[in-house]
Amino acid sequence: MKKLALLTALALMGTASAQSLSGTVTVWSWDAAAKALESTIPSFNKKYPNVKVNVVDLGNQNVYDRGLAGCAAGGADMPDVYSIENNEAEVFWARFPDCFTDLNTLGAAKYAKSFPAFKWTELAVGNKRYAMPWDSGPVVIFYRRDLYQQAGVNPNGIKTWDDFIAAGKKVNAKFGGKVKMGAVGNGQDDEWFRMLANQNGCFYFDNTATQITIAKSGCVQALDTVKKLFANDVVMTTDWGGQITAFKANRLASAMFGAWYEGTIRTNAADQSGKWGVYPMPASKPGGVRASNLGGSALALPSSSKNKAAAYAFMENALATTNGQVTMLKSQGLVPSLLTASKDAYVNQKQPYWGNQTVWKTILDTLGDVPAARGTQYFQDARQVMIVVQADYIKGKYKTAQDALNDAAKKISAATGLPVAK
Amino acid sequence: MTTVPTPAPPTRRRRRVPLAPYLFILPYLLIFATFWAWPIVSSFLMSFKDSRLGAAAGYGLSNWQRLIGDEFFRTALKNTLVILVIQVPLMLTLATTLAVALNSRLLRARGLFRFAFFAPLVVGTVAYSAVFRLLFNGEFGIVNRALSGLGLPQVDWLNQPVPAMAVIILAMTWRWTGYNAIILLAGLQGIPEDVYEAAAIDGATPWQQFWKMTLPLLRPTLLFCVVLSVIGTLQLFTEPALITNSGPGNATMTLGTYLYQQGFRSFNFGYASAIAYAVAALAAIFSFAQLRLFGRDS
Repeated sequence: MKKLALLTALALMGTASAQSLSGTVTVWSWDAAAKALESTIPSFNKKYPNVKVNVVDLGNQNVYDRGLAGCAAGGADMPDVYSIENNEAEVFWARFPDCFTDLNTLGAAKYAKSFPAFKWTELAVGNKRYAMPWDSGPVVIFYRRDLYQQAGVNPNGIKTWDDFIAAGKKVNAKFGGKVKMGAVGNGQDDEWFRMLANQNGCFYFDNTATQITIAKSGCVQALDTVKKLFANDVVMTTDWGGQITAFKANRLASAMFGAWYEGTIRTNAADQSGKWGVYPMPASKPGGVRASNLGGSALALPSSSKNKAAAYAFMENALATTNGQVTMLKSQGLVPSLLTASKDAYVNQKQPYWGNQTVWKTILDTLGDVPAARGTQYFQDARQVMIVVQADYIKGKYKTAQDALNDAAKKISAATGLPVAK
Repeated sequence: MTTVPTPAPPTRRRRRVPLAPYLFILPYLLIFATFWAWPIVSSFLMSFKDSRLGAAAGYGLSNWQRLIGDEFFRTALKNTLVILVIQVPLMLTLATTLAVALNSRLLRARGLFRFAFFAPLVVGTVAYSAVFRLLFNGEFGIVNRALSGLGLPQVDWLNQPVPAMAVIILAMTWRWTGYNAIILLAGLQGIPEDVYEAAAIDGATPWQQFWKMTLPLLRPTLLFCVVLSVIGTLQLFTEPALITNSGPGNATMTLGTYLYQQGFRSFNFGYASAIAYAVAALAAIFSFAQLRLFGRDS
């Protein structure tokens, strides 16, 4: 009886605190990620009916830029919940350690084991947790079943990058060069290089963020493959928007990105339902690693938020519950990094848009093979250098990929002051 | 003491002049000091600070040392100068031609034309950049459609260095020619009519009139346009940032976009401040040189 009374009292207290949370929570995010967060609002409002959540889609670059400006201004004009890419996160903690709330003070420590360790490496500094892991970006190839079939390409036969190029030649022959095997943002971004380098266990920096490792063999091989794709004319050069236009216009047979691109394809080309499929990215050599990670984000809570309890409650509901993560997976294809979410029944369901393939299983199965890589606070410096070096190498400015990356390492070192690894 | 005239009668006047006017301009002075003077001083101080290591960082010359050896800064400087050397003369030649044409009494509906040439300046920069991106899209843009319609080869405008630079120059010319033409037109209208009458009586051809009279008399106005355009180009940001995103690679990166990259992408405010001061110094040197070279007897 006593126990029951206590439980009732506790339950009442629980509802009371849920009821007492009120006000508005403003969330900054981008594109599909913003829509995904919006999709978790109904379940959040079931628990906290008095909190109004306002998700603002500023676009990816704008969120980053305005966040930095806001932190520099001592937290002025910041939202209550801030979206942040893992790669870029460390610059915030390094330059503005006071701009974001240590989530441990709100009880986030209990989620330490709920997410894979690699998601926390960039979000936790010392004993502080600056952001809660959100989605991850296991890389896969999205492909057009119909176009592959017409060109006589079997996706199961594509196991290495050489196979991919051979398939691209078939696609070129079939469509007279009108349809390309992939789209690379050469000159705008170095994503393909990063995905391939990560696959080969190489990245700009080592995992302790003390050395520049971009001139190591795994990266050299990655850059060489990017060049080969261009030399064989199987990819087109275009930016983010151009790629979307291209696949909508049936000019792209496949696309490679982090799995979060699923939502981009599905929502932009709803009329191509059933025509798409997914297979793991090709390996550098037969039997090699066919997994990589691109992007993946987290949510942080600016110190200047006036409504921290409600903001934290929103983050918890969206990220730290299976329901929240799976809701976002369903609505926008954001790949959960919450470990329990991957066991949800939905992950093993066939997806009609993807030709009834169990795409989420295919995608999540690669997660365990993803080599770790760390963005560090110098991510943007390194990226700016690499975008140029990649474009120059493709254009023929360097003799070998090793020369190009030696030069890149030298430039990144000049910009960051970090030494180049021997 | 008697030989030195006192500058102002003492006592009475001194008591009357002081406070009120200063009180009236005080709000302005405060705003000026806070939002103009202080940032200028602060960014100068910041250019000596290694802002990336956080609050603990000290002052030094590291940013300036980096600037001297920085390949990216040299690329940005080179690109900016290329635009300066090609775009400014191109634009001002066009603007002068336009201004002379607009000034012609043979032209009907001059007001309409003046508006039409000035209109690009009224269009929002983001909107016009988006339109240029669409026009010059390699796969789907109307420019490439037109080129192939004429039997000419298509150009991958935004993904190749030289074409991308050409797009930037075209976009800037489209936007700013009319503006300069209107200023030059005002200059033309300041030239007295009787000068031309006298020239006509002396038998000068219109061509001779243009070269021997219009241009020399227009020089102060042209100089004004040149100085403004040069300073504007040194600070160029909008077009390369929004149309080509400084790319491909760094092919259209300017001093302005490099400064932005360092400031707001890498968040290296110290280094960005050093770049800003380098740009300011360049602008000062260029303006001084132009005034000395072309500004004589005016």
